[in-house]
Amino acid sequence: MSLDTATTSALQALRNRFGRAVLAEQPTAEGFPVVWLSPEVWQDAHRFLRDEIAQPFPLLADLWAIDETGRRHRDGQPASGITLCSHLISLARNADIRLKLATQGRAPSVAGIYANADWYEREAFDMFGLDFGRETRRILMPPTWDGHPLRKAHYARATEKPPFVMTDRFFDAEERATVTDPAELGLPVARDGEELMVLNFGPHHPSTHGVFRILLGLDGEEVVWAWPDIGYHHRGVEKMAERQTWHGFIPYTDRVDYLGGVISELPYLLAVERLCGITVPERAQMIRVMLCEFYRILNHLLFYGTMAQDVGQMSPVFYMFTDREKAYDAVAAITGARMHPAFFRIGGVAMDLPRGWQGLVQEFLNWMPARLDEYQRMVLNSGLFRARTVGIGAYDTDTALGWGTTGPGLRATGCDWDLRKARPCSGYENFDFDVPTGSRGDCFDRTRVRADEMRESLKIIRQCLENMPEGPIKADHPLTTPPPRGAMQSDIETLIPHFLQMTWGTHVPAGEATGQIEGHRGLTQYAIVSDGGAHSHRTRIRTPSFAHLQMLPKIAPGMTVADLVAHIASIDFVMSDVDR
Amino acid sequence: MDELLREFLPIVILTILAGGLGLILMLSAVIIAVRKPDPEKVSAYECGFNAFDDARMKFEVRFYLVSILFIIFDLEVAFLFPWAVAFGEMSMTAFWSMMVFLAVLTIGFAYEWKKGALEWQ
Amino acid sequence: MSLTATLLLSVAVLVALIVAAGIFTWAERRLLGFLQERLGPNRVGPFGFLQWVADTVKLIAKEDAPPAGADVAAFRLAPALAAAPVLAGFGVVAFAPGLVVADLDMGVLFVMGMLALTVWAMVLGAWGSRNRYAMLGGLRAAAQMLAYESFLGLSLMGCVLLAGSFRMGDIVAAQQDGAWFILIQPLGAVLFFIAGIAAAHRLPFDLQESEQDLVAGFMTEYSGMSFALFFLGEYIAVLLVAALFTTLFLGGWAGPILPAPVWFGLKVGAICALFVWLRAALPRPRYDQLIGFAWKVALPLALLNLLVTGWIAVGDAP
Repeated sequence: MSLDTATTSALQALRNRFGRAVLAEQPTAEGFPVVWLSPEVWQDAHRFLRDEIAQPFPLLADLWAIDETGRRHRDGQPASGITLCSHLISLARNADIRLKLATQGRAPSVAGIYANADWYEREAFDMFGLDFGRETRRILMPPTWDGHPLRKAHYARATEKPPFVMTDRFFDAEERATVTDPAELGLPVARDGEELMVLNFGPHHPSTHGVFRILLGLDGEEVVWAWPDIGYHHRGVEKMAERQTWHGFIPYTDRVDYLGGVISELPYLLAVERLCGITVPERAQMIRVMLCEFYRILNHLLFYGTMAQDVGQMSPVFYMFTDREKAYDAVAAITGARMHPAFFRIGGVAMDLPRGWQGLVQEFLNWMPARLDEYQRMVLNSGLFRARTVGIGAYDTDTALGWGTTGPGLRATGCDWDLRKARPCSGYENFDFDVPTGSRGDCFDRTRVRADEMRESLKIIRQCLENMPEGPIKADHPLTTPPPRGAMQSDIETLIPHFLQMTWGTHVPAGEATGQIEGHRGLTQYAIVSDGGAHSHRTRIRTPSFAHLQMLPKIAPGMTVADLVAHIASIDFVMSDVDR
Repeated sequence: MDELLREFLPIVILTILAGGLGLILMLSAVIIAVRKPDPEKVSAYECGFNAFDDARMKFEVRFYLVSILFIIFDLEVAFLFPWAVAFGEMSMTAFWSMMVFLAVLTIGFAYEWKKGALEWQ
Repeated sequence: MSLTATLLLSVAVLVALIVAAGIFTWAERRLLGFLQERLGPNRVGPFGFLQWVADTVKLIAKEDAPPAGADVAAFRLAPALAAAPVLAGFGVVAFAPGLVVADLDMGVLFVMGMLALTVWAMVLGAWGSRNRYAMLGGLRAAAQMLAYESFLGLSLMGCVLLAGSFRMGDIVAAQQDGAWFILIQPLGAVLFFIAGIAAAHRLPFDLQESEQDLVAGFMTEYSGMSFALFFLGEYIAVLLVAALFTTLFLGGWAGPILPAPVWFGLKVGAICALFVWLRAALPRPRYDQLIGFAWKVALPLALLNLLVTGWIAVGDAP
């Protein structure tokens, strides 16, 4: 298979170049090599893969750490206290490679090579105390936090601590800690002798789309510098994953991106199912695809409306909420819920499609296209909307990849990379749809790409409606959770796993697996580590929003405040997806 | 003088009444409205943070030239008012002299435009 | 007119205006609801008609705390200043033949002057609030004035030239002989309407408060009655611009069958509905784009309009 040769040769090139510094290749169930490197070549290997190798790896998809404390199944892996992982993607090869580094709390930084490693390394410091020999400012946790939460030694629940009491002294200390001094951050306070106005933009601001804070240095209305400050929505989802059963964590994935509904469940379950060796039956796969596309439309409608609203157009968002209700009619009938359905299960989906689902889906398919045409006239063809968005916040493909931008933000630059096409999962290869792209990579193109994506999603839903296969909705596999109900009620071989799964939790075989999908915002990746137990040893969630916000300080200078609002809207992030 | 006063008296009365209305409404609010200030409530809104320094600072406005132009054009409009009102009983000389005046202004305006005075920053 | 009559008429006009502005807020919300596939206020009274009364009561009773660093005098004065000039501007508006508080011969000029004064209140309120968002809003208000005032006067000059007077009554009378000026001065009417939206600070030209980027702009720190007065000022300004447009371009009170004030009210109402419709439909330009539009498009067009009007009028003259 061409995909394999491409990756093998990258691994071979790495071995040729660095010889014995390539310590080991970890056997995994992944479709890409996982390579342990020695610390002295960590930076060089990244530079090599980014700049020197033929068909390079320009995208640092993710960088995270694993606390190896108490992990029993580590066959073939070098001894390590905290393991640093980086995940690189090559678009030209359509292949990935994962590099790992065994550390005892210190690691070399690759922020000088991959620009977007900056926030990821700060996060690894914040969560694990991993020292990269650079600034140690917390990124997600409050500055006053004691300890590093994702360490195994750190408590996971408030009940493990004495009751919390808010004292005046504590309150004042917290207040003082939020004071940010631009000069201390190395940000200029003047330009050409003119003092800059330092403005707190958010977290309580109507246009930051959640609790997102940007510190702005303004000269008049022109943004001179922007300093994003995140973490106000941090809930420690990755830590929760280590305390929940594999099955019990599914509802949390819905809430990582609260507008994504079932979409975030898919990469998580792809990873779990890969470890379990479950093949999901066709009908369940198509139900998953259909629901994902429904939520993609639901999200893009909200984006479209708020985008228009953020440049001052008041009405579209109201029309789009009408459409969203139509979509929710179908979604609620199928899943029983609206925003957070928790509908997918390990090995399938929770229940079969209800009688008459075709009617509701058909109704939505009939309703939507005419509305999209109207929005085209109302928003995209409006001269004022164009005046506010064309040429604003433009970047090219290389910049986008350099900052880890994926999804519509990448496709707006003309790059047609869509995981649904490039690496189809869950049966996406059976669907006929196009990947809309832009050319300028500005706010307007990002809006247009998403508007066109909705039409493609409608196409996919229509194909689901026409081709929905008959058959089971859950895999016939001992680890399918919960097992198919009919079988559970009739044979003891299924009843016992059901009992075990519901009391202790599903025991997922030890190992590492990754699930990737093209989410509505871009690459969503769950990298899980199982130690053979009922809980995850580490669940790493790579969200697109986190990566997308990081580019802001580079794009914002030179914009006016109004442009910045348009640009922020066009990124389409939600803070829960950034902070997790 | 008397004539003028009589003509303007009603408008003066209305203006005073309008101003008084505003004051009465403000005053009624002072009497009726609750007042329970606390330090958080009366801190200036800055998206949930304490402000860095004074909001009143030197501030670069990018439309300096535009405002100068504005003064010129507003004066021009002021000249046009009597001209427009008296248009009916005007001689051709008066008409053409205004045309010349406008032409001069238009040329000046075109020059400013070309020089980039109307561009942002 | 005797002093008593003037006083009575003044009070009647003020009360009518405040009630009209209140009803306007309700009508706007219902109309926006209709335009946006939703209901709008429909609970208080029949069709939610008494919503504005409830809102007024709420706003009077609401706490209004000036921020700690505020310049209290400026902060308090600004709202009163916001409503007073536009209310006074109605003093010269002729609702019907003879039904006018003060029939000044410089009526149109007076209205324009009063409209321009509202910017004062905004800048003063912004300054008094001592808040960054308010400051940015106040400066935008000032910048916006430089944009629309440049062609507001010029765009209506054609009508004045045709009527030969600034007096509201004369302008209406001039249209009774011939056609409405909107037919003779279509370009002037469009330009005046655009400038009027900007002068009333309504979307798409509400840059000084544009909630998407400046939270609430110059009004950020205002609540309770002070907020209500700014709000009142804005709505009265819309009514004033609509009244001016009606007088200049739509033949004022003139119309068949129905009494004059009713015609006047209907025309003003139609213009107000147009304001609401535009608010529902259009995005907001950036303020440098507004300044650019005003100086590079609207001002040359307004000048051209005046020149052509003058040329034709001179040609027609005996």
